[in-house]
Amino acid sequence: MNIFLYLDQETWVHRLDPRTKMISTLILFTLSLCFNHPLYMGGVSLAILGIAISARVLRNFWRFRFILLLLFVFSTLMWPLFTKGSTPLWAWGSFQVSRESLLYGFAMGLRLATFVGTGLILLSTTRNEELTNGLIRMGIPYPVAFAFSTSLRLIPTFAGAGATILEAQASRGMDLESGGLFSRIGKFLPQAVPLFFYAIRHTNLLAMALESRGFSPQAKRTLYYEPCMRRIDYAVIIILLIVLAALVYVRLGIKLGAVLPARL
Amino acid sequence: MSEAISIEGLTFTYRGGAPPALQNIWGQVEAGSFIGVMGHGGAGKSTLCSSLNGLVPGFFRGAYQGRVMVKGQEVAGHKVAEMSRIVGLVLQDFEAQIFSTNVELEMAFGPENQCLPCSEIDRRIRHYLAFLDLEKFRRREPATLSGGQKQRLAISSVLAMEPEILVMDEPTTDLDFKGRQEVLSVADNLRREGRTLLIVDHEPETMAKADRVWLMKGGQIVKGGLPGEILADVSTLKSCGIKVPPIPELFSAMGWPGAPFSAREAMALIRKHNLVRPRTLSLPESSRPGQRRPYLLQAEGLRYIYPSHGIEALRGVDLCMGEGEFVALLGQNGSGKTTLAKHFNGLLKPTSGQMLLQGRPTKEYSHGEMARLVGYVFQNPDHQIFSRTVLEEVGFGLKMLGEGPKRVEQLVSEALEVVGLEGYEEKIPFALSKGERQRVAVASVLALRPRVLVLDEPTTGLDYRHQRAMMEILKSLNERGHTIIIITHSMEVAEEYAGRTVVLKDGAVLLDGTTRAVFAAEDRLAEASLQASPLLQLSNYLGTKARTVGQMIEELQA
Repeated sequence: MNIFLYLDQETWVHRLDPRTKMISTLILFTLSLCFNHPLYMGGVSLAILGIAISARVLRNFWRFRFILLLLFVFSTLMWPLFTKGSTPLWAWGSFQVSRESLLYGFAMGLRLATFVGTGLILLSTTRNEELTNGLIRMGIPYPVAFAFSTSLRLIPTFAGAGATILEAQASRGMDLESGGLFSRIGKFLPQAVPLFFYAIRHTNLLAMALESRGFSPQAKRTLYYEPCMRRIDYAVIIILLIVLAALVYVRLGIKLGAVLPARL
Repeated sequence: MSEAISIEGLTFTYRGGAPPALQNIWGQVEAGSFIGVMGHGGAGKSTLCSSLNGLVPGFFRGAYQGRVMVKGQEVAGHKVAEMSRIVGLVLQDFEAQIFSTNVELEMAFGPENQCLPCSEIDRRIRHYLAFLDLEKFRRREPATLSGGQKQRLAISSVLAMEPEILVMDEPTTDLDFKGRQEVLSVADNLRREGRTLLIVDHEPETMAKADRVWLMKGGQIVKGGLPGEILADVSTLKSCGIKVPPIPELFSAMGWPGAPFSAREAMALIRKHNLVRPRTLSLPESSRPGQRRPYLLQAEGLRYIYPSHGIEALRGVDLCMGEGEFVALLGQNGSGKTTLAKHFNGLLKPTSGQMLLQGRPTKEYSHGEMARLVGYVFQNPDHQIFSRTVLEEVGFGLKMLGEGPKRVEQLVSEALEVVGLEGYEEKIPFALSKGERQRVAVASVLALRPRVLVLDEPTTGLDYRHQRAMMEILKSLNERGHTIIIITHSMEVAEEYAGRTVVLKDGAVLLDGTTRAVFAAEDRLAEASLQASPLLQLSNYLGTKARTVGQMIEELQA
């Protein structure tokens, strides 16, 4: 069972310094916040899709298609009900749907999907260890960075164990596929017990393995994948910052790109 | 020669554990020598290993007496991280000690902690990848490696720290024949390099390579000596709950000279002394299994592709099983055994072809109907135990199927009796030993009285005594009419207990026949990277029908 996101490829995005990728991800998040007009927002989404294509990570987008679609549809349907615009189309009691709120909802759907997509690009092109090393070189204490990356690492392991536990119960006659939401949750809950024991045992063994390999959290250590900022790294950050400044100017200076200017 | 390890009166009791795990251990290991350690489950072997690199008492707390000196340094006075530079420890559970996202990073982890420069780390990675024949996997994700490859990776990532002493805790359990050979050849290479080795293992073939063997029982070293002496001492081995190597047992029962361990040595001795004349093995054609109609389980052109990663695990399996058979499924790691077994109770649905149970496709059965027909016991019993008491645990399936409390209690106590746990109803499952938990897992499936019982590696992780107990339970269930299907990598278990053996290779059936006939086809077995046990190799050479030492003695004396 493979739930890892990292895709081992040789592209310019993969080769970037992990620090560059983390900073760029933050800039791209901010870029997605610039506009709430679907056309402008759509432009940002397309640009990020372009990056995903050149990083050859579309496979992960495809794997996450249901989540991406769900976020998009849910947001597009819900936002119009809670925002007010100047050209009403339909009203029912205190609920009203306007042309602006529809467009706003659409833009918000795009924004959410873009957020997830940006995160996917980061995790699909950066190894766990690279993220850790990047965080360390940014000044995060080693134990904190290591705890962060280990927890990322353990999620798939535990998910795999969880799947086995459910299979074991299904073969003893437990029917997980029928029943209402609450009865299903009720059936899932007892499964947490073996998973809990598995987690304790596993983390204990992991701690033993780490110590046996000479790991001690406070000590200095070499980084085999030593992050290294090259010219392209600086170029990427500078270009993204220029783009960000330009888009902020478009939104705040020229006052374009917003259906509901008062909202983010 | 200088002393590498000196254990002086070591006694250790885990915090909260009443009897000491180690009691007054004395032992010396010369630099460059190879010590083999054998013992039953709970004999203190793992604790002994942990006491060499400081996990005991640094990580596991408890009452510690005596001292352990490694290369002139007292272990208890140093941190594990410091000791790890001298003593490399490969843990028993190799899955848990691999945590990096690719092979080279896994190997770099130790040297990184030693603060070596990147160029030196790179040199070591290249050197030890070549040493363990893993070069082509340098960028691979460890989860995609086979068991033998993972174990070699675990060893190489400890070796990359270049410790003078290497301790391996059961490095070959859970491995198939090929994986075991891979690991043993590493041990040979290390000896040639002059490193000190301490290996815990069950297999006599590993022990035969050692300079000295320590036999452990109940936290003590009961006997130490040359491998030949220890392995030939049948009564001490038996009292320690260790499997007696079958060929020496045969030789001593027949009154033949010598005590060889391997089939080849035995054949040479037989030829040399002209002990018995080999005959031609004739197996009756009529006893071909799979002919008992009506079929209970029937796979027709069964193909299965895992949807998540698109790997075709089964490529057209045709297989019929009748009521009351005892079948062993063999094959290398990754040959499709577990995938096939999960089709028997509908956990997996065929991608194409079909899986029929009593003539009906498995997908037409509800969970409840299925649970009453086919029971499935998972490899790790801890994956299915979750209740507060054994009664609740074993009765879970019955309750799911809507049985009343009276009936549940009755069926549970019957199931517990079968597995030898009568009166355990109110015990807490998690507090039981591994062998007992395995039996609870079997009982919890058995309580539903399924006609077919499928068990994935029922003997893995159990010591010899518990392995035999488990297999005897399955044998008696089979005699009562249950159909038993086991997945196993233990040739001895399949040889002794299964009437029929099916060998899988690359998702297809390679061999299918009576167990004796399958193990007689040594060339075909080799195609699946399997090898008959030394006893059966000898049996093939002598042309006997025997599958156990007892049968062989009887047949030769007749």
